[in-house]
Amino acid sequence: MDLFFAGLDTLLQWQNFLIIPIGLALGIVVGAIPGLTSDLGIILCIPLTYGMDPTMAILMLLAIYCGGTYGGSITAILINTPGTSANAATLFDGYPMAKKGEAYKALSMALFASTVGGLISAASLLFLAPQIAKITLLFGPAEYLALAVFGLSVIASVSNKSIFKGLIGACIGIFISTIGMDNISGTTRFVFGKINLMSGINLIIALIGLFAISEIMMKSQYNPRTDRKIVDAGSITKSKITREEYKRCRKPIGIGSLTGVIIGATPGTGGGLAAFIAYNQVKTTSKHPETFGEGEIEGVAASESANNGACGSTLIPMLTLGVPGDGATAILMGAFMIHGMVPGPMLFRDQGNILYAIMIGLFVVNVFMYLIGSVFTKFYAHITRIPYEILACIVLTFCIAGAYSTSNSLYDVYIIIVVGILAYFLRRMDFQLVPILLGIVLGPLAEMNFRRALILSDGSLSIFITRPISLGFLLVAVGSVLLFAWRNHRSKAKALSEAR
Amino acid sequence: MKLRYNSEIISGSVFLVAAVVLWLLIPSQINTLETSEINAQTVPRIVIGGMGIFSFCLLLQGLFTLPKHEVVVTRAALTSDKFRKELRSIVYAVIFLAYLVAITFAGFLISTILLTVAILIFYGARRWYYYAIPLAMVGIVYIIFKMLLRVSLP
Repeated sequence: MDLFFAGLDTLLQWQNFLIIPIGLALGIVVGAIPGLTSDLGIILCIPLTYGMDPTMAILMLLAIYCGGTYGGSITAILINTPGTSANAATLFDGYPMAKKGEAYKALSMALFASTVGGLISAASLLFLAPQIAKITLLFGPAEYLALAVFGLSVIASVSNKSIFKGLIGACIGIFISTIGMDNISGTTRFVFGKINLMSGINLIIALIGLFAISEIMMKSQYNPRTDRKIVDAGSITKSKITREEYKRCRKPIGIGSLTGVIIGATPGTGGGLAAFIAYNQVKTTSKHPETFGEGEIEGVAASESANNGACGSTLIPMLTLGVPGDGATAILMGAFMIHGMVPGPMLFRDQGNILYAIMIGLFVVNVFMYLIGSVFTKFYAHITRIPYEILACIVLTFCIAGAYSTSNSLYDVYIIIVVGILAYFLRRMDFQLVPILLGIVLGPLAEMNFRRALILSDGSLSIFITRPISLGFLLVAVGSVLLFAWRNHRSKAKALSEAR
Repeated sequence: MKLRYNSEIISGSVFLVAAVVLWLLIPSQINTLETSEINAQTVPRIVIGGMGIFSFCLLLQGLFTLPKHEVVVTRAALTSDKFRKELRSIVYAVIFLAYLVAITFAGFLISTILLTVAILIFYGARRWYYYAIPLAMVGIVYIIFKMLLRVSLP
């Protein structure tokens, strides 16, 4: 308790309250530009923190991290392109809401759910860090594979029209994720002699191509004279979240936040996976699953609470065990070390007051995020009023510059255009892009742990069902697929009988 | 000429052929030295094999269970509105591909300005500010990335 109050004392300095909004503003801008991630934002700002004291420096970087994770939802909702991979699941319902003229409502819910998820995550970091770290230590390759399978079970719920097209999409996604150098053996795969393909296809590059470029291509038949909708400025912010909708979103936000905390605390996963799993669970257990994917506010609430719910908990393994959970926490770990703090069990003993100041500061970051977001959401929503031909050019410019900046290579620009054109033809053939995305996101996690588990078990598949956590995840995955299939079958039978 | 098709037949055929080609390429493209049964080829084989099986199922579904569109290819069909709309998509894709050539030789700034102008002409934009805003944005993005983010765009 002494450390808690010492931390509070360290936190309550005006400089900290000045640097947090600056960090958040930077994070939101970086997160909202497709191709730029919060990781890049943190890296760019580390040199700025050299002269700061450790609390102030880490709080600024954490603000960039949280702001970036929220900021990615803005473009996911408005232009169907997630700013970061953590916001990919927000596309499912965020963009359809924007198309229905409910962009402001979707943005407001994304902000609210992100804040609640972030606050729950901060509480878990402050009060449950050691206990959660112990549970996640029980995860081995079999559990990670089961977790990836659990994430892939989302395919069943997003492939309403054709399960075969969904499965082909997932195969394409996993295939794309295998391109490049194999992490285990060092063997190159499907690089066709191109050195640029050795490092594989970057996730964010694939995302820009799949969603942004294909979306622009889909509008190739848009005719400004006949298809333009004149949106009245006043009507943009008219569609506010109702009390009933807030009430309906309590359960999705609860599920999303808890999923975010648990998945985020598991090293090697991250907010993107948490958002997919939370979305699937909320959709499967919903009384009206058919509305998901058509602009359901609960879908936005689930995915956004989950990805921000993972923000604080990804710090748990890093702070308690010295194990960074994802790219951003690995960079943050470097920042901790630059400021003379070595993450691990000794950190609580040696620099407990600073650590507690940072953990309590995470609450402040989330509160500021809500305040800043509330002010700017109205402005973001007006983006939908920009004539499409102007918006398409601006989005393309950002996408191209963002893609190039990922690894300072023109190759990534070629990839977004080629992937975008191919994705356009897939969409014209009624393929959903989400299974492809799931395959790309979860493919590496699934493959690496599938192979490791089989090496450990001498090739026996029984390893996946003899370990209780792995079996649990697999059963829930199978259960949610069966539940969804049964509901789908029931609704089709009902529709048929009504037609008769 | 009369054509009967649906998207399942087209996509099933395309991905079946792609799966067969990729399967045949595995030995040359994944030249692993691993001796164990579980190696760098395992997962690619599973997903490519899966792609082949699901594509075959999709093809069968398209051929035997789902309704098909019927298209009669005549000279009139080639001048129809529907065909013109399809042609617009191809022109759009060609603009993007031409951009890839342009950026390789002319760099980001000039090629993106040309791309912006091409897209605005494609949509038939006439007002001056429809050109001014996106073109200014190209310049702003160039400056932001170059000066603030220290990304040296090509």
